[in-house]
Amino acid sequence: MFASRLTCTAAGLCVLAAAGPLTAGAEDPYDRSSATLFLGNHCRTCHSGSTPAGGFHTDKLRSETSFVEHPDAWVALAARVSNHEMPPTGAPSPSLEERTAFVAWVEQTWRSQACAAELPLMPSPIRRLNRDEYSATVRDLFDIQIDVSEMFPVDGAGGEGFDNAAETLFLSPLLAEKYLATAKFVLDVAAKEFKSRTKIFVGRPGPNKTEVEAAREILAKFLPTAFRRPVDSAAIAPYVRLVQRARRRGLDFESAVFFGLRSALVSPDFLFHVRADASSPASRQYALASRLSYFLWGSQPDELLLDIAAAGKMDDPAVLDRLVPRMLRNDRALEFFSRFTEQWLRIRELEGTHGPDPELFPEYAADAELRGDILLQPVFFFREVFRENRSVLEFLDSDGTVLTQPLIAHLGLPLKKKQDGKNPNWMELPEGSGRGGLLGMPSISALASHPHRTSPVLRGVWILDSILGTPPPAPPPDVAELEEPGEGKTVKSIREQLSAHSSSPSCASCHQRIDPLGFALENYDVLGRWRDGDSGVPVDATGRLPDGTQLDGPASLKAALLERKHLFLRNLAKRLLGYALGRGLTASDTCAVESIVTQVERQEYSAWALLREVIRSEPFLHAAAPSLGPERQ
Amino acid sequence: MPASRALRISRRALLRGSGVALGLPWLEAMALGNDRSDPPSPVRMAALYMPNGAYPATWTPATAGRNFELTPSLEPLADVRQQVTVLSNLWNEQAKDGDGHYVKESSILTCARIKKTQGADLRNGVSFDQVAAKARGHLTPLPSLELGVTPVAVGNDAVVGYTRVYGSHISWSTPTTPLARELNPRAVYERLFRAAHGSSVSETGLDSLLLDRVLQDAKRLRKGLGSADRARLDEYLASMRSLEKRVRWSDPTEHSNWKPLAKLDLRDAPVERPSSHSEHVRLMLDMIAVAFQSDTTRVATFMFGNAVSNVSFRFLDGVTSGHHDVSHHANEEQKLAEYKIINRWHVEQYAYLLHRLAGMPEGPSTVLDNSMILFASALSDGQKHDPHKLPVLIGGRGGGRIDSGQHLIYGEDHPLANLYMALLEAFGAPVERFADSSGPLRGMLAS
Repeated sequence: MFASRLTCTAAGLCVLAAAGPLTAGAEDPYDRSSATLFLGNHCRTCHSGSTPAGGFHTDKLRSETSFVEHPDAWVALAARVSNHEMPPTGAPSPSLEERTAFVAWVEQTWRSQACAAELPLMPSPIRRLNRDEYSATVRDLFDIQIDVSEMFPVDGAGGEGFDNAAETLFLSPLLAEKYLATAKFVLDVAAKEFKSRTKIFVGRPGPNKTEVEAAREILAKFLPTAFRRPVDSAAIAPYVRLVQRARRRGLDFESAVFFGLRSALVSPDFLFHVRADASSPASRQYALASRLSYFLWGSQPDELLLDIAAAGKMDDPAVLDRLVPRMLRNDRALEFFSRFTEQWLRIRELEGTHGPDPELFPEYAADAELRGDILLQPVFFFREVFRENRSVLEFLDSDGTVLTQPLIAHLGLPLKKKQDGKNPNWMELPEGSGRGGLLGMPSISALASHPHRTSPVLRGVWILDSILGTPPPAPPPDVAELEEPGEGKTVKSIREQLSAHSSSPSCASCHQRIDPLGFALENYDVLGRWRDGDSGVPVDATGRLPDGTQLDGPASLKAALLERKHLFLRNLAKRLLGYALGRGLTASDTCAVESIVTQVERQEYSAWALLREVIRSEPFLHAAAPSLGPERQ
Repeated sequence: MPASRALRISRRALLRGSGVALGLPWLEAMALGNDRSDPPSPVRMAALYMPNGAYPATWTPATAGRNFELTPSLEPLADVRQQVTVLSNLWNEQAKDGDGHYVKESSILTCARIKKTQGADLRNGVSFDQVAAKARGHLTPLPSLELGVTPVAVGNDAVVGYTRVYGSHISWSTPTTPLARELNPRAVYERLFRAAHGSSVSETGLDSLLLDRVLQDAKRLRKGLGSADRARLDEYLASMRSLEKRVRWSDPTEHSNWKPLAKLDLRDAPVERPSSHSEHVRLMLDMIAVAFQSDTTRVATFMFGNAVSNVSFRFLDGVTSGHHDVSHHANEEQKLAEYKIINRWHVEQYAYLLHRLAGMPEGPSTVLDNSMILFASALSDGQKHDPHKLPVLIGGRGGGRIDSGQHLIYGEDHPLANLYMALLEAFGAPVERFADSSGPLRGMLAS
């Protein structure tokens, strides 16, 4: 089944995650005639004739060149079939295998034909700063060490699962009030900070300088930094007038200046990411500088980045090759390491109501230090991989990992104490420790468990989704959760309960992919500690994947995942690209993902190669290009 | 508050009186009211949303009419039952397909079919509270108030293919704009205070200057944008203009007919971080009560939790796990018992709000008499993810428009949207059609 799973992107494009031949047996290759048969059996009745349902006619998909002529029609069709939206309820439904094979064929054909034809990329949508970006930006803008992100409502996630996605960064009256209040708060703090004041007051009124001149000097310095691009004098003038007006209302000069700066923080020029202006090629450079800066730092570009943009070198490969490692070494990169890792691996969910039960696991609830180390371990692991340019396959398995003294004790590892045991260190692991890669981390064990016990289903789904990028389809809405053993009852082995999955064909088709993955991790308890038994019953960590792979314990699972490293890399590439672009990927981005994967495979899965390919990809560079003007819409 | 207003009562309120003989002062009060041009007490409307459904056997009363017996889940309403309307057999047809939660919970107030997406082409409908806010929001400092106790759920639910943004919002001002909720009770109070009493004159003036400035920037920016981007920038413009309106509203030099019906005092502002889930919920419900009493807004929504909420209810005796976990009770005795306890707890909080509003006199009536407080879940039995036979209650009489104190049982699968049509009519914002409505709900409005 691994051979023909598919996932759907935000825009509905379904990407085939092919690890081998298209169909499990491969005796009967799926081709155009199979697809035509599928369309004839399941679509044509309604979608034909002079008034096809929904205005969608299957005839336009007949020709050999239809993928190039109607790429969007194919993508929409595949998405609806894969989402079980079509054929509609009541009509004879194709089997899951038929659907999967059809969509897989559409995807593969799409890639080979539409990518070759170089589809136009979608313009980059405008998006506001999310609350983390806002907070980091004012921190850097004023040189103040405060975190104001909590003053805003939480931003929901869209796109590839991140909270920086344009499509889900809404604005509302409540947010507008928060912008007003937070801008005032930030400027009140800055007004009391020596460093900020020095940065701001580059001009002072005096014998040879009028207040207006001083205000103009201050704003001419401040606005380009705040707006992250050059600001011409015509755009500075209204802010100077604003300061004058505030002066006339009785504010002293300083307060009037702070009021002007406060206004700039509520302006869309500050709140929205910089975009390229069709009339100015230079603006594309600044848009790229911001894009790169918010990707790797989650904050505004520094002076060096703005200088590179001014020199028109933001897309120069040689410059980028030197720039990226430098940016990763900067402390600001922690924003990227933590925000990306926490959302990719879903660690943020562990902080909510889904964490380990405090009564059953007081050792977790009561020990803030251990809890913090458990939550941060994957972030620091990610940092290590990307700062030291390790292979991204180390996420699947590795000879070392990031540890602290509390983690070493928690996991019972036979490792010597380090001098700075409180700080996270990369340490070589003893042979057979089972702690390499993400799956060896307690955070992963905990977040894919129920609060009170482990769950092979949750862990299996987590691997399919977060690691392989091939989440299983949703269970039928009316199905009860099978695996809950019920409070107080003897655990009659979860395996026994889950065997019910194989009794029904509709459950089995997905759970035979899910459950064995999770069972292989049963040696890790809710907190990721090794166990040989559970409630007196020996742990049975065996299982068999649909393709016949036998699993027994975490080591065999990691080996099996390494066999599927192509899927993993594609998943990571998609997520990184989605995060970097701040939007969900669409059909036209698929070709870029494929090319990134190919390049990184050639460069031995190097982490820098992956970042470099993302940053040099067409969508990333295009992301900053002018969108279609209104006259072309 | 002018004396005439305090005493004025509507004819309808009189007719609905509890049978007590009316003395002369009351008749005078009525005459006074008729002579003056004072508006009647405003009608308010709130929607409280409970995640994860309710167990039908202990929810739905057995018989229709006025003498129905309160079920175990509804018992907390005993003291206010004359003010409560129980509605049975309503359903939300647009939520029947898709996944078990997001399509249902996100469309509970919109009755729209939500678009399956992880974000890019998000689409719902406009929720009925926002239809009301658009029609009558100009009469109060805040058009509406959106509240909750849990932050927006993070991430996409990749398994079902929906962004969790859907499950975290019930109020939608446009089909593509969910409204952010305030979670901090103190911030709500301060916001109500600012809206009702305004800031100092100097700050108001500065805020106006600031908003003028940024609106200019936005207009310039808008010129270069394509249509999709314009929609997003229009959200910015609309949000800033709503602030502008508020600033102007609170400017004492600007003439406004609106006066707070009750004074707010910043010393009464509640804590920022409540110590428990119960306290948090109560404080947010208090904020609805304060907002309605002062007439700072007439429309509010409140979410007890997000879709698939797994808030731990261990603080209740007999409950050992999270809300969503027990809603999948599989008919096991222990889980079912826990599910019922959690259902009942939600009704207790609802009863608390109704009591608070009933304790706020407004002329001869109370704020509750002039309110319509909806309580609903988007599922019936959480176990089945079933959008049929939804648990729906209305508290209050909507200024005499609602014939409360009865259990109304409709025919199988009666559109929930019909309820919203009726509520909008009673609110003074009638619509010809709401989503898939077939007409205002029968039997609920006083004839």
